[in-house]
Amino acid sequence: MKCRGVVFMCSLLTFALAPALSTAQEDAPASLALGATAPMASEQMKGVDGKDVSIASAAGKKGTLVIFSCNGCPWVKAWEKRMVEIGNSYSKRGVGVVAINANDPERSPADGFAEMQQRAKQRGIRYPYVMDATSEVARAFGATRTPEAFLFDAEGKLVYHGTIDDNAHEPNKVTKRYLREALDAMLAGKEVPAAETKALGCGIKFRPKA
Amino acid sequence: MAAVKGAESPQAPARSSGRLELRPATVGEILGAVRGAGSKAVLVNVWASWCAPCRQEFPDLVRLYRDYRGRGLELVLVSTDFEDQLADAKAFLTKNGVDFPTYFKVGDDMEFINTLSPKWTGALPATFIYDGEGRLRYFQEGMGTYEEFEKRVLDVLSSKAG
Repeated sequence: MKCRGVVFMCSLLTFALAPALSTAQEDAPASLALGATAPMASEQMKGVDGKDVSIASAAGKKGTLVIFSCNGCPWVKAWEKRMVEIGNSYSKRGVGVVAINANDPERSPADGFAEMQQRAKQRGIRYPYVMDATSEVARAFGATRTPEAFLFDAEGKLVYHGTIDDNAHEPNKVTKRYLREALDAMLAGKEVPAAETKALGCGIKFRPKA
Repeated sequence: MAAVKGAESPQAPARSSGRLELRPATVGEILGAVRGAGSKAVLVNVWASWCAPCRQEFPDLVRLYRDYRGRGLELVLVSTDFEDQLADAKAFLTKNGVDFPTYFKVGDDMEFINTLSPKWTGALPATFIYDGEGRLRYFQEGMGTYEEFEKRVLDVLSSKAG
Protein backbone atom coordinates (compact mmCIF):
# COMPACT_ATOMS: atom_id res chain seq x y z
CA MET A 1 0.00 0.00 0.00
CA LYS A 2 1.48 3.38 -1.04
CA CYS A 3 0.85 6.17 1.42
CA ARG A 4 2.85 9.12 0.13
CA GLY A 5 1.41 12.49 1.17
CA VAL A 6 -1.64 11.15 2.90
CA VAL A 7 -0.09 9.54 5.92
CA PHE A 8 -2.97 10.18 8.29
CA MET A 9 -5.64 8.86 5.94
CA CYS A 10 -3.44 5.92 5.08
CA SER A 11 -2.93 5.13 8.75
CA LEU A 12 -6.67 5.15 9.29
CA LEU A 13 -7.19 2.93 6.27
CA THR A 14 -4.48 0.52 7.40
CA PHE A 15 -6.05 0.32 10.84
CA ALA A 16 -9.50 -0.23 9.37
CA LEU A 17 -8.20 -3.00 7.13
CA ALA A 18 -6.08 -4.67 9.82
CA PRO A 19 -7.24 -8.23 10.34
CA ALA A 20 -8.49 -9.12 13.78
CA LEU A 21 -6.20 -10.79 16.28
CA SER A 22 -7.68 -13.96 17.62
CA THR A 23 -6.43 -15.59 20.77
CA ALA A 24 -6.83 -18.80 22.67
CA GLN A 25 -5.77 -19.20 26.26
CA GLU A 26 -6.01 -22.21 28.50
CA ASP A 27 -9.02 -22.48 30.72
CA ALA A 28 -8.11 -19.84 33.28
CA PRO A 29 -10.32 -16.72 33.40
CA ALA A 30 -8.90 -13.21 33.22
CA SER A 31 -6.43 -12.51 35.97
CA LEU A 32 -7.52 -10.77 39.15
CA ALA A 33 -7.57 -6.99 38.75
CA LEU A 34 -5.78 -4.57 41.06
CA GLY A 35 -8.13 -3.57 43.86
CA ALA A 36 -9.96 -6.91 43.81
CA THR A 37 -10.26 -9.08 46.89
CA ALA A 38 -9.00 -12.66 47.07
CA PRO A 39 -11.51 -15.10 45.56
CA MET A 40 -12.32 -18.39 47.30
CA ALA A 41 -10.64 -17.02 50.43
CA SER A 42 -12.48 -19.44 52.71
CA GLU A 43 -11.56 -22.51 50.65
CA GLN A 44 -9.77 -25.01 52.88
CA MET A 45 -6.54 -26.39 51.43
CA LYS A 46 -4.35 -29.03 53.02
CA GLY A 47 -0.98 -27.76 54.16
CA VAL A 48 2.23 -29.74 54.29
CA ASP A 49 1.82 -30.02 58.08
CA GLY A 50 -1.47 -31.82 57.51
CA LYS A 51 -3.64 -28.94 58.70
CA ASP A 52 -6.22 -27.21 56.57
CA VAL A 53 -5.50 -23.60 55.70
CA SER A 54 -7.53 -21.02 53.84
CA ILE A 55 -6.36 -17.70 52.44
CA ALA A 56 -8.63 -16.03 55.02
CA SER A 57 -7.10 -17.98 57.89
CA ALA A 58 -3.57 -17.24 56.66
CA ALA A 59 -4.25 -13.52 56.19
CA GLY A 60 -2.03 -11.09 58.08
CA LYS A 61 -2.99 -7.88 59.84
CA LYS A 62 -0.83 -5.85 57.47
CA GLY A 63 -1.46 -7.76 54.28
CA THR A 64 -1.48 -11.17 52.63
CA LEU A 65 0.88 -12.65 50.08
CA VAL A 66 -0.37 -15.54 47.93
CA ILE A 67 2.17 -17.23 45.68
CA PHE A 68 1.20 -19.92 43.21
CA SER A 69 4.17 -22.24 43.25
CA CYS A 70 5.07 -25.88 42.76
CA ASN A 71 7.96 -28.32 43.11
CA GLY A 72 9.15 -29.18 39.64
CA CYS A 73 9.26 -25.95 37.64
CA PRO A 74 12.78 -24.72 36.83
CA TRP A 75 11.68 -21.11 37.28
CA VAL A 76 10.36 -21.89 40.76
CA LYS A 77 13.62 -23.67 41.54
CA ALA A 78 15.60 -20.68 40.30
CA TRP A 79 13.60 -18.24 42.43
CA GLU A 80 12.87 -20.53 45.37
CA LYS A 81 15.60 -19.38 47.74
CA ARG A 82 14.52 -15.76 47.26
CA MET A 83 10.84 -16.67 47.56
CA VAL A 84 11.38 -18.51 50.82
CA GLU A 85 13.49 -15.67 52.22
CA ILE A 86 10.71 -13.23 51.37
CA GLY A 87 7.98 -15.48 52.78
CA ASN A 88 9.82 -16.26 55.99
CA SER A 89 10.89 -12.69 56.68
CA TYR A 90 7.69 -10.82 55.80
CA SER A 91 5.52 -13.32 57.67
CA LYS A 92 7.29 -12.02 60.81
CA ARG A 93 6.27 -8.49 59.92
CA GLY A 94 2.52 -8.92 59.91
CA VAL A 95 2.09 -10.20 56.37
CA GLY A 96 0.23 -13.48 56.03
CA VAL A 97 1.97 -15.71 53.49
CA VAL A 98 0.63 -18.79 51.74
CA ALA A 99 2.15 -20.73 48.85
CA ILE A 100 -0.34 -22.69 46.78
CA ASN A 101 0.45 -25.63 44.53
CA ALA A 102 -2.38 -26.00 42.00
CA ASN A 103 -0.62 -28.47 39.70
CA ASP A 104 -2.29 -31.78 38.97
CA PRO A 105 0.15 -34.49 40.10
CA GLU A 106 -1.30 -36.70 37.36
CA ARG A 107 0.19 -34.23 34.85
CA SER A 108 3.17 -33.23 36.95
CA PRO A 109 4.39 -36.13 39.11
CA ALA A 110 6.84 -33.92 41.04
CA ASP A 111 3.87 -32.09 42.55
CA GLY A 112 2.38 -34.76 44.79
CA PHE A 113 1.66 -33.99 48.45
CA ALA A 114 4.59 -36.06 49.77
CA GLU A 115 6.92 -34.20 47.42
CA MET A 116 5.52 -30.89 48.70
CA GLN A 117 6.22 -31.94 52.28
CA GLN A 118 9.75 -32.91 51.36
CA ARG A 119 10.35 -29.65 49.52
CA ALA A 120 9.01 -27.52 52.39
CA LYS A 121 11.37 -29.28 54.79
CA GLN A 122 14.38 -29.03 52.46
CA ARG A 123 13.82 -25.35 51.80
CA GLY A 124 12.92 -24.32 55.35
CA ILE A 125 9.52 -22.95 54.39
CA ARG A 126 7.97 -21.52 57.58
CA TYR A 127 4.62 -20.44 56.12
CA PRO A 128 1.77 -22.60 54.81
CA TYR A 129 2.50 -24.50 51.61
CA VAL A 130 -0.84 -25.92 50.55
CA MET A 131 -2.36 -28.01 47.79
CA ASP A 132 -5.20 -26.54 45.70
CA ALA A 133 -6.72 -29.98 45.26
CA THR A 134 -9.13 -28.97 42.50
CA SER A 135 -7.04 -26.19 40.90
CA GLU A 136 -10.17 -24.04 41.33
CA VAL A 137 -8.44 -21.48 43.53
CA ALA A 138 -5.84 -20.90 40.81
CA ARG A 139 -8.62 -20.66 38.23
CA ALA A 140 -10.50 -18.14 40.38
CA PHE A 141 -7.38 -15.98 40.65
CA GLY A 142 -6.75 -16.27 36.92
CA ALA A 143 -3.29 -17.56 37.79
CA THR A 144 -1.53 -19.12 34.82
CA ARG A 145 2.04 -19.86 35.78
CA THR A 146 4.48 -20.63 38.56
CA PRO A 147 5.71 -18.69 40.33
CA GLU A 148 3.03 -16.00 40.31
CA ALA A 149 2.49 -13.66 43.26
CA PHE A 150 -0.61 -11.79 44.43
CA LEU A 151 -0.24 -9.29 47.28
CA PHE A 152 -3.26 -7.97 49.16
CA ASP A 153 -3.11 -5.03 51.54
CA ALA A 154 -4.54 -4.81 55.07
CA GLU A 155 -7.99 -4.09 53.61
CA GLY A 156 -7.74 -7.17 51.44
CA LYS A 157 -7.34 -5.30 48.14
CA LEU A 158 -4.91 -6.55 45.50
CA VAL A 159 -1.99 -4.13 45.33
CA TYR A 160 0.58 -6.22 43.45
CA HIS A 161 0.42 -9.04 40.91
CA GLY A 162 3.38 -10.49 39.17
CA THR A 163 6.81 -11.95 39.49
CA ILE A 164 9.54 -12.08 42.14
CA ASP A 165 12.21 -9.96 40.46
CA ASP A 166 13.69 -9.34 37.03
CA ASN A 167 16.23 -12.17 36.83
CA ALA A 168 15.33 -15.71 37.81
CA HIS A 169 18.53 -17.40 36.79
CA GLU A 170 21.17 -14.90 37.90
CA PRO A 171 20.34 -13.49 41.33
CA ASN A 172 23.46 -11.32 41.29
CA LYS A 173 22.14 -9.52 38.19
CA VAL A 174 18.75 -8.60 39.63
CA THR A 175 18.06 -4.91 39.19
CA LYS A 176 14.36 -4.78 40.10
CA ARG A 177 13.16 -6.62 43.21
CA TYR A 178 9.50 -6.22 42.30
CA LEU A 179 7.90 -8.28 45.06
CA ARG A 180 10.07 -6.93 47.88
CA GLU A 181 9.51 -3.39 46.64
CA ALA A 182 5.75 -4.01 46.61
CA LEU A 183 5.82 -5.45 50.13
CA ASP A 184 7.92 -2.58 51.45
CA ALA A 185 5.71 0.03 49.81
CA MET A 186 2.56 -1.62 51.15
CA LEU A 187 3.95 -1.81 54.69
CA ALA A 188 5.01 1.84 54.47
CA GLY A 189 1.54 2.86 53.34
CA LYS A 190 2.88 3.96 49.96
CA GLU A 191 1.75 3.19 46.45
CA VAL A 192 3.39 0.09 44.97
CA PRO A 193 5.85 1.34 42.32
CA ALA A 194 5.33 -1.45 39.77
CA ALA A 195 1.99 -3.01 40.60
CA GLU A 196 1.79 -5.42 37.67
CA THR A 197 4.82 -7.27 36.36
CA LYS A 198 5.44 -10.37 34.27
CA ALA A 199 8.04 -13.05 33.83
CA LEU A 200 8.25 -16.32 32.00
CA GLY A 201 6.97 -19.23 34.05
CA CYS A 202 5.73 -22.78 33.88
CA GLY A 203 2.10 -23.02 32.85
CA ILE A 204 -0.03 -24.34 35.73
CA LYS A 205 -1.02 -27.95 35.07
CA PHE A 206 -4.71 -27.54 35.90
CA ARG A 207 -6.80 -30.49 36.95
CA PRO A 208 -9.78 -31.14 34.68
CA LYS A 209 -12.84 -29.10 35.62
CA ALA A 210 -15.32 -31.01 37.78
CA MET B 1 -2.56 -4.40 16.32
CA ALA B 2 0.32 -3.31 14.19
CA ALA B 3 3.15 -4.74 12.21
CA VAL B 4 6.08 -5.91 14.29
CA LYS B 5 8.22 -3.18 15.84
CA GLY B 6 11.55 -2.96 17.48
CA ALA B 7 13.48 -5.25 15.18
CA GLU B 8 17.18 -4.69 15.77
CA SER B 9 18.70 -6.76 13.02
CA PRO B 10 16.16 -8.32 10.69
CA GLN B 11 17.33 -11.68 9.53
CA ALA B 12 15.46 -14.46 7.87
CA PRO B 13 16.02 -17.93 9.22
CA ALA B 14 18.56 -19.52 6.90
CA ARG B 15 16.55 -22.57 5.88
CA SER B 16 18.95 -23.54 3.17
CA SER B 17 21.67 -24.36 5.68
CA GLY B 18 20.09 -27.70 6.54
CA ARG B 19 21.86 -27.42 9.87
CA LEU B 20 20.44 -27.10 13.34
CA GLU B 21 21.51 -23.97 15.18
CA LEU B 22 20.47 -22.46 18.48
CA ARG B 23 21.25 -18.76 18.36
CA PRO B 24 20.83 -16.15 21.11
CA ALA B 25 18.19 -13.59 20.19
CA THR B 26 16.50 -10.62 21.79
CA VAL B 27 12.82 -10.09 21.17
CA GLY B 28 13.77 -7.47 18.59
CA GLU B 29 15.84 -10.02 16.73
CA ILE B 30 13.00 -12.55 16.90
CA LEU B 31 10.67 -10.02 15.34
CA GLY B 32 13.36 -9.22 12.81
CA ALA B 33 13.34 -12.89 11.84
CA VAL B 34 9.55 -12.73 11.48
CA ARG B 35 9.67 -9.66 9.30
CA GLY B 36 12.62 -10.88 7.31
CA ALA B 37 11.19 -14.32 6.60
CA GLY B 38 9.48 -13.18 3.42
CA SER B 39 6.81 -15.80 3.95
CA LYS B 40 3.04 -15.67 3.78
CA ALA B 41 2.74 -16.83 7.38
CA VAL B 42 5.21 -17.14 10.24
CA LEU B 43 4.53 -19.29 13.28
CA VAL B 44 6.60 -18.40 16.35
CA ASN B 45 6.62 -20.97 19.14
CA VAL B 46 8.13 -20.21 22.55
CA TRP B 47 9.11 -23.38 24.36
CA ALA B 48 11.53 -25.01 26.81
CA SER B 49 13.09 -28.46 26.81
CA TRP B 50 11.74 -29.35 30.27
CA CYS B 51 8.21 -28.00 29.63
CA ALA B 52 5.90 -31.01 29.28
CA PRO B 53 3.14 -29.35 27.21
CA CYS B 54 5.81 -27.77 25.00
CA ARG B 55 7.35 -31.18 24.35
CA GLN B 56 3.93 -32.65 23.68
CA GLU B 57 2.88 -30.16 21.01
CA PHE B 58 6.33 -29.79 19.45
CA PRO B 59 6.20 -32.69 16.95
CA ASP B 60 2.88 -31.35 15.62
CA LEU B 61 4.43 -27.94 15.01
CA VAL B 62 7.36 -29.42 13.13
CA ARG B 63 4.99 -31.59 11.07
CA LEU B 64 2.78 -28.59 10.32
CA TYR B 65 5.81 -26.66 9.11
CA ARG B 66 6.91 -29.50 6.85
CA ASP B 67 3.37 -29.87 5.48
CA TYR B 68 2.89 -26.16 4.74
CA ARG B 69 6.32 -24.63 4.10
CA GLY B 70 5.74 -25.16 0.38
CA ARG B 71 2.70 -22.91 0.67
CA GLY B 72 4.57 -20.17 2.49
CA LEU B 73 4.73 -21.11 6.16
CA GLU B 74 7.85 -20.26 8.14
CA LEU B 75 8.60 -21.64 11.62
CA VAL B 76 10.56 -19.67 14.22
CA LEU B 77 11.36 -21.67 17.34
CA VAL B 78 12.41 -19.78 20.48
CA SER B 79 13.75 -21.73 23.43
CA THR B 80 13.52 -20.16 26.88
CA ASP B 81 15.87 -22.69 28.45
CA PHE B 82 18.48 -21.20 30.72
CA GLU B 83 21.90 -21.04 29.10
CA ASP B 84 23.19 -24.00 31.11
CA GLN B 85 20.30 -26.10 29.75
CA LEU B 86 20.94 -25.43 26.08
CA ALA B 87 22.48 -28.85 25.50
CA ASP B 88 19.13 -30.37 26.50
CA ALA B 89 17.33 -27.99 24.18
CA LYS B 90 19.60 -28.88 21.28
CA ALA B 91 19.20 -32.59 21.93
CA PHE B 92 15.42 -32.17 21.90
CA LEU B 93 15.52 -30.23 18.63
CA THR B 94 17.72 -32.91 17.07
CA LYS B 95 15.40 -35.67 18.27
CA ASN B 96 12.52 -33.87 16.59
CA GLY B 97 14.31 -33.55 13.27
CA VAL B 98 14.84 -29.79 13.38
CA ASP B 99 17.55 -29.04 10.83
CA PHE B 100 17.40 -25.26 10.58
CA PRO B 101 18.40 -22.28 12.73
CA THR B 102 16.40 -21.70 15.89
CA TYR B 103 16.79 -19.25 18.76
CA PHE B 104 17.07 -19.00 22.50
CA LYS B 105 15.72 -15.96 24.24
CA VAL B 106 18.03 -13.42 25.84
CA GLY B 107 17.07 -10.17 27.55
CA ASP B 108 14.43 -9.01 29.96
CA ASP B 109 11.41 -11.30 30.41
CA MET B 110 8.80 -8.59 30.69
CA GLU B 111 9.95 -6.80 27.55
CA PHE B 112 10.04 -10.13 25.71
CA ILE B 113 6.51 -11.06 26.81
CA ASN B 114 4.82 -7.71 26.28
CA THR B 115 6.51 -7.09 22.93
CA LEU B 116 5.28 -10.40 21.56
CA SER B 117 1.81 -9.78 23.01
CA PRO B 118 0.54 -7.82 26.01
CA LYS B 119 -2.12 -10.51 26.28
CA TRP B 120 0.50 -13.15 27.05
CA THR B 121 0.91 -13.79 30.80
CA GLY B 122 4.32 -15.42 30.37
CA ALA B 123 3.20 -19.03 30.77
CA LEU B 124 4.62 -21.65 28.42
CA PRO B 125 4.12 -22.74 25.75
CA ALA B 126 3.03 -19.75 23.67
CA THR B 127 2.44 -19.58 19.93
CA PHE B 128 2.12 -16.54 17.69
CA ILE B 129 1.12 -16.55 14.02
CA TYR B 130 2.01 -13.55 11.88
CA ASP B 131 0.91 -12.73 8.37
CA GLY B 132 3.19 -11.82 5.48
CA GLU B 133 3.19 -8.19 6.52
CA GLY B 134 4.41 -9.03 10.00
CA ARG B 135 1.07 -8.46 11.70
CA LEU B 136 0.20 -10.68 14.61
CA ARG B 137 -2.93 -12.58 13.61
CA TYR B 138 -3.20 -15.28 16.23
CA PHE B 139 -1.90 -15.86 19.71
CA GLN B 140 -2.27 -18.93 21.87
CA GLU B 141 -1.10 -19.43 25.43
CA GLY B 142 -0.94 -23.09 26.37
CA MET B 143 -0.67 -26.24 24.35
CA GLY B 144 -2.36 -26.63 20.97
CA THR B 145 -2.92 -29.42 18.49
CA TYR B 146 -1.96 -29.88 14.85
CA GLU B 147 -5.56 -29.27 13.81
CA GLU B 148 -5.91 -26.09 15.85
CA PHE B 149 -2.72 -24.58 14.51
CA GLU B 150 -3.42 -25.79 10.97
CA LYS B 151 -6.75 -23.97 10.96
CA ARG B 152 -5.09 -20.73 12.07
CA VAL B 153 -2.25 -21.08 9.58
CA LEU B 154 -4.70 -21.72 6.77
CA ASP B 155 -6.69 -18.65 7.80
CA VAL B 156 -3.55 -16.55 7.41
CA LEU B 157 -2.31 -18.27 4.23
CA SER B 158 -5.68 -17.81 2.57
CA SER B 159 -6.23 -14.20 3.62
CA LYS B 160 -5.38 -11.32 1.34
CA ALA B 161 -2.78 -10.02 3.76
CA GLY B 162 -1.27 -13.46 4.02
